[in-house]
Amino acid sequence: MTFSIDGLMPSCIVLVPFLSALLILLFSSGTKRQVARLSVGMSAITFFLSAASLILYMLDPQPRWLSSGGAWGSLYLDPLASVMAVAVAGISLVVHVYAVRYMAEEPGYARFYTLLDLMTGTILLMVAAGDLVTLLIAWQLIGVLLYFLLGHDLERPAAQRYAFWTFFTYRIGDLPLILAAALLYKAYGTFSLPVLFERIAESPDAYPVFGMPLPLAVGLLVALAAFARSAQFPLHTWLPYTMEGPTPVSALMHAGIVNAGGFIINRFAPVFIHAGSVLHLVFAVGLVTAVMGSILMLTQNDIKKSLGYSTMGQMGFMFVECGVGAFSLAIYHLIAHGLFKGTLFLGAGSMIGDARKQDGIPHDDVYTFVVERKPVTSRLPWMLAAVVTVVVPFLVLGLSRWLVGGNFVGQQGAIILLFFGWATGAQLLFATYRLRAENPWRMMIMIILSLIVVVAGYTLIEHAFDLFMYPDRTIREKIYAAASIPLSTFDPLVAVLTVTIVVGWLAAYYASASDKARSPDPSPARLALYSLISREFYAADVYAFFAQTVLALSRSMNVWSRWL
Amino acid sequence: MMKLLAAFLFLPLFPFSMVFNGLLSKLGNPTARFMLLLAWPQFGVFFLHAQPVPEFFIAWPLLSSGFYALRLLTVRDLGLWAGFLACSALSLIWIANPSDMPMVALWFSIPPALLFLLSGALERRFGAAYSGLYGGLAGSAPKLSGMLVMTLLAAIATPPFPGFFAMLGLLHRTGIAPAVLFIWLLWGWAAIRLMQGFLSGSKEPTPVNDVGRSGALLFACLLGVIVFASLYLKGGAP
Repeated sequence: MTFSIDGLMPSCIVLVPFLSALLILLFSSGTKRQVARLSVGMSAITFFLSAASLILYMLDPQPRWLSSGGAWGSLYLDPLASVMAVAVAGISLVVHVYAVRYMAEEPGYARFYTLLDLMTGTILLMVAAGDLVTLLIAWQLIGVLLYFLLGHDLERPAAQRYAFWTFFTYRIGDLPLILAAALLYKAYGTFSLPVLFERIAESPDAYPVFGMPLPLAVGLLVALAAFARSAQFPLHTWLPYTMEGPTPVSALMHAGIVNAGGFIINRFAPVFIHAGSVLHLVFAVGLVTAVMGSILMLTQNDIKKSLGYSTMGQMGFMFVECGVGAFSLAIYHLIAHGLFKGTLFLGAGSMIGDARKQDGIPHDDVYTFVVERKPVTSRLPWMLAAVVTVVVPFLVLGLSRWLVGGNFVGQQGAIILLFFGWATGAQLLFATYRLRAENPWRMMIMIILSLIVVVAGYTLIEHAFDLFMYPDRTIREKIYAAASIPLSTFDPLVAVLTVTIVVGWLAAYYASASDKARSPDPSPARLALYSLISREFYAADVYAFFAQTVLALSRSMNVWSRWL
Repeated sequence: MMKLLAAFLFLPLFPFSMVFNGLLSKLGNPTARFMLLLAWPQFGVFFLHAQPVPEFFIAWPLLSSGFYALRLLTVRDLGLWAGFLACSALSLIWIANPSDMPMVALWFSIPPALLFLLSGALERRFGAAYSGLYGGLAGSAPKLSGMLVMTLLAAIATPPFPGFFAMLGLLHRTGIAPAVLFIWLLWGWAAIRLMQGFLSGSKEPTPVNDVGRSGALLFACLLGVIVFASLYLKGGAP
């Protein structure tokens, strides 16, 4: 084991939060201010160390390795770990600062900061883990610590109930990863992740297990672990209910912890190169989750729960990105999502406060004309707006991808992501069309210009990020190749999707222009659909039924065999 | 054959486990229970050590372990819970590597044995160590609660406690690994149900005599030593 500044950096990043937790625990009799000062200070040091480590990596792009000298207990800072460490430490710092005043009136202030520091240290340990055992330890501890953070308020039964839901789902997600680690160790005889990935690349099909190639089995198990951790359907029920925990914990969870699924898929990228069919499964599950999450988000009347389902939808998109082979984009997405979702959570309280102060009168045309004395507004002709909506995002996205990527037409993943970008851009323009304005042309042009700036910027950053995360072009191409499907299936799928999107937007514009979007008398089918959505697809009810059945069985067994 | 029968008794497999459970219920003293649980499985390991365990036999320990894990879910008495957990965990020693058996037996028996001591501490204060009976322990006796939480986490093989590494060692047989993991999942579920019954809820109106600072520190040091020993033995620490 060699000690150098470079080598010590990973251990310092991980150890500082643990040290902070230990100090708070030992001196918990101090004032709240002392506790907060210590914890925030240590959190700031962690962030600066993480940032310094990333800068060091950019100056000298060599992974940094620190081993305990034993069979496991190693840390490894590669591009993935370096970027994730900065994101985690940054979000944690913001949450630490926010909690100083937010938690001031709550009991267990020192306990909260101890747990927060332990959680930060454990997440950092997870992202920097250099071997399977260290990764498993961190992976499992995150679920345990999250349980205690979410159940911080010990007197609220709801907080305890939903903390338990989270714990149990996370335990379900722990087990496949443990099994994957056991299979990998048995096959290749090492815990070290870099060595393991080298050996898999040398002989991926050497050890069949459960009747399938090992990478396929391991990929499937890792994907299952990721599904539970990132609230993919049907393992999503815990996520929206975690709002019962303190708001800083909600922010940390939605901005950081829930993204672990995307991280673990990236960490096992060399395995997924040989497990293309698992990536297709990841795509399908991600797509279903994105749709479900978005639908459920739209039907919520509680801002925090709505944000919870929004996170579920975003996690679905993240898995779609992984499923099409855009692994680095998933990381970029999770960081971007973490930042904006954390901001939304931390701002949710003041938004609720503002809403309470408003009169609640809808600002429709009559209101703005009569009360606010504003001139009558208008919209663009619907057919013209529809054509702009369909054509402009397509051109903007296509041109920006062409500028950075060149032959993106040959990459199935890039084309699928273009579809998502197209639908999102069209959604923006549709929303612009629905906003009445004094000068609708001017507003539409400004929005299109904004779209061009955002898309071009996003594409450039994403491209640079991709080169940073996966500098080896061969690896990038292999991941995309693994995620591909036969062209005979892909081409008709693209054609059907294109027609569906175009027709769908035309129909949406027509309905909006002729005010047919909202029927005064909903049909029974619509009402049934609404009740299905309002009951959140009965997923929680099904789980409750199973849990009660198991508990009833347990009670019966205890009654029958009380003396055994 | 006699040695194998003795092993059935000391590494308790259902229905031989009723002897072990009966003994635990007869022994009212928590310290006596603690000592019994630490010693009992070591005899089992001694008897089993020289005996080859046939492959077809593996289902029995798994079923026995699963049976007690399932029962744990609705047990609310801490002493009984610790005994059942011990039965579930010690059954799994049958599928461990023979060379690992003594240490696995030790790692699996220490946390339930400590739970017996905590059960005694709760009985002295409340008259019973019964989850859900009083609640709010985290507010009224934070140090005792902390000790209970840490010991329960150790008992369900949470990292970095030694049970975690012992469980990892049991996964060397791919065919039965899913069953072992399922049992592990049940332990976690049962532990959280038990823990919530003690810790959550409103604070007791009458003051509760918490554990002293030195006692809590001693207990924490003991757990720390166990963790460090396990890390050292498993090759994760220098």
